[in-house]
Amino acid sequence: MESAADGGGGDIIASIGRFSRPCRVVADRSRATLERFPLRVPLSVMAEFISRISVVCFAASYSVALGFEVTRLWFRSSVRGATMIGFVAAGLIAQTLYLVWRAATVTAIPLSSGFDWYLLAAWVLAAGSLWMTIANPRTPVGLFVLPVVLGLIGAAELSSREPFPQNPATQIWGAIHGSFNLAMSVAVVLGGLAGGMWLIQAGRLARKQAPLQGFRMPSLEKLSLWSARMIVVAAWAGGSGFLSGIILNAVNRQRGLLETVPWTDPVVLRMGMLVLWLISGVVISRAVARQANGRRVTAVVSLVSLCLLTASILWGVFGSTRHGVPPQQAMPTTAAGTDGGAA
Amino acid sequence: MSLTFVGGSHRTVPIELRERLAFSAEQAAEALARFRTAFPGSEAVLLSTCNRVELYAADEQQQGPPPPDELAMFLAECRGVDPTSVGGVLGGDQGPAAVKHLFCVAAGLDSMVLGEPQIVAQVKQAWQIAQQSGTTGPLTGELIQAALRAAKRVASETAVGRERLSIPSVAVADFAAGVFERFNDKRVLLIGAGKMAAETLRYLADAGARDVQVINRTAGRAEQLAERLGGTARPYADLTTEVVTADLIVSTTGATEPVVTLETYLKLEPSRQGRPLVVLDLAVPRDFDPRIGQRAGVWLYSVDDLGQACEANRQRRQREMPAALTIIDEETRRFMGDLHHRSTVPVIEQLRAGWNETGEAELDRLFRKLPDLDAAARDEIRRAFDRYAAKMLHPPLASLRSESHTGPPHGLLDALRRLFDLRD
Repeated sequence: MESAADGGGGDIIASIGRFSRPCRVVADRSRATLERFPLRVPLSVMAEFISRISVVCFAASYSVALGFEVTRLWFRSSVRGATMIGFVAAGLIAQTLYLVWRAATVTAIPLSSGFDWYLLAAWVLAAGSLWMTIANPRTPVGLFVLPVVLGLIGAAELSSREPFPQNPATQIWGAIHGSFNLAMSVAVVLGGLAGGMWLIQAGRLARKQAPLQGFRMPSLEKLSLWSARMIVVAAWAGGSGFLSGIILNAVNRQRGLLETVPWTDPVVLRMGMLVLWLISGVVISRAVARQANGRRVTAVVSLVSLCLLTASILWGVFGSTRHGVPPQQAMPTTAAGTDGGAA
Repeated sequence: MSLTFVGGSHRTVPIELRERLAFSAEQAAEALARFRTAFPGSEAVLLSTCNRVELYAADEQQQGPPPPDELAMFLAECRGVDPTSVGGVLGGDQGPAAVKHLFCVAAGLDSMVLGEPQIVAQVKQAWQIAQQSGTTGPLTGELIQAALRAAKRVASETAVGRERLSIPSVAVADFAAGVFERFNDKRVLLIGAGKMAAETLRYLADAGARDVQVINRTAGRAEQLAERLGGTARPYADLTTEVVTADLIVSTTGATEPVVTLETYLKLEPSRQGRPLVVLDLAVPRDFDPRIGQRAGVWLYSVDDLGQACEANRQRRQREMPAALTIIDEETRRFMGDLHHRSTVPVIEQLRAGWNETGEAELDRLFRKLPDLDAAARDEIRRAFDRYAAKMLHPPLASLRSESHTGPPHGLLDALRRLFDLRD
């Protein structure tokens, strides 16, 4: 794993020439920022410190916090909660500085690579986990959220750090596309975790067992509310993300700016399927809302959505695609792909 | 300087004798006033609850407080009980055993319901009465503070007092609260007027329940109960309507047949429109057909279900006992170490005073021989003398502190007295 400096700093300055004209403004700004550091001692020290933060730093912090969370199941401790919150907060601060550094130094639109996208999703979830842990100290939120955070960091490590191909004419659509997909992913994760917790809690209540020590789940009412809301948010965000992707592709194709992504591209297919599932999930949830098992159905739908998202991420990490790949690196994966654009 | 306790609890004293030995707050204050007259110089705290009567006495003097037998007779006389009848049942202890006993009592480890928290408030109240009666002092003050600290540690570091043990509390906190996030927007239906109804509703009210409907075969009883519990009485004929609108049902009738059968519920189920229903069936025989609990969205708990959860909680509390006793042992050692160290204070003060006196005399002699020394030089020399004295005294004082952890350092104190010619 590399530190922030490996993705920026001198390497960035050296690689500025490789990028097209639109990226130069950002690159110049980064160079100017970096060149100012030696003139101001505190800033340079801070920059040196931040540049040494690596993915390992915050991944290790989250792992230790998760370890503390797991020990809830076996014994009580008066200092564990504060220690765990401390580790998550430390990891979050380190990750924030890491992302800020990358945004400031990378020679493209900030945080516009697959690597950055996964880290940003992990950051949002880690922040949510911290907030929920502080608000509900007796609920083992981290036990569910932190493994997902670590999984996303792992996916980031396996993803390309090369920024997605960009053009000033489509930057805004690219940003919208990425933001909606990020919102969808976070909503699916939160909804899926709420659905999973609902099933665990319902199982405990059906078995007529008192809650385990240190494993007090939120109520079914709260969990079903969360899963129902999140699936709606995920469907809206996913649909908007997919639509903005189509527009982005159409603009690229119409203006001949960047290579278009074919309909048959695995990323387009899996995202399309996920969005379709989410929309179906909303319809199903609404249809059964007034039935006795409606809440269970919503929980299952949310959990299945999370499984589909996980499969989709794994497919994206290990599969080949033209989505988000610079033209010279596009991989000819499908026979029909070269002709059929998404828009 | 020692501590003694005498008394008995639900484990050792039959309830008939406990009732006769029990002290109200006023009676405790009177007894302590009497103690002050009978044993001048001694400190005392009297702890009297429905499950125990215990008198803790302490004295800073060498001879210590009165022995347990004498204290037992004192207790009996205060309550007008024949002293010979308490001789065999009231127990007592001294020193670390007495301290450990109080710590166990304060932590709820000696309570009838293991880990119950009310005892902490009762210990505090006993301390306040003793303070007002003028029988407290530095020893009992530190003892009670240490007992409360031990109780706090046991409560926060173990689950001894964490798990709920009564059926109504388990029903509301472990099951109903697992289904509903809040109760202030839920409709609670109470069917019948069984003995657990009021207590269950008290827990529900604490959790925020406001909308309570009461149904009973006898309308007058329903109205009476509704008035007492802050609910609304409904005619028994409205039972099915109320089951449809209720979110949580507490049923405690004395009916010999189910009040709500599966067939009845199946007819009502569509009208509920999928809203979850929690049923706490606290009646024996059961008021709800158990098959209703298998319907989606229904969480039905009988007395046996809740009783099993209570028993599981009780066992969990019991499993925490070793960890709790480890804390009690640690706190007892710590307290006794501090107590023993207190007994060394007079010797330490004498030792310091002796060194300072000798140092001052030597300094005076030195300054007389060197009259040209300015004030700054004199101060510097004085500080050097002080540092020297502190460094020379450090090893014996550290040894005293270390020895105090294992017991009263009588040997070392005697040695210091003889070596440095210290007198009491």
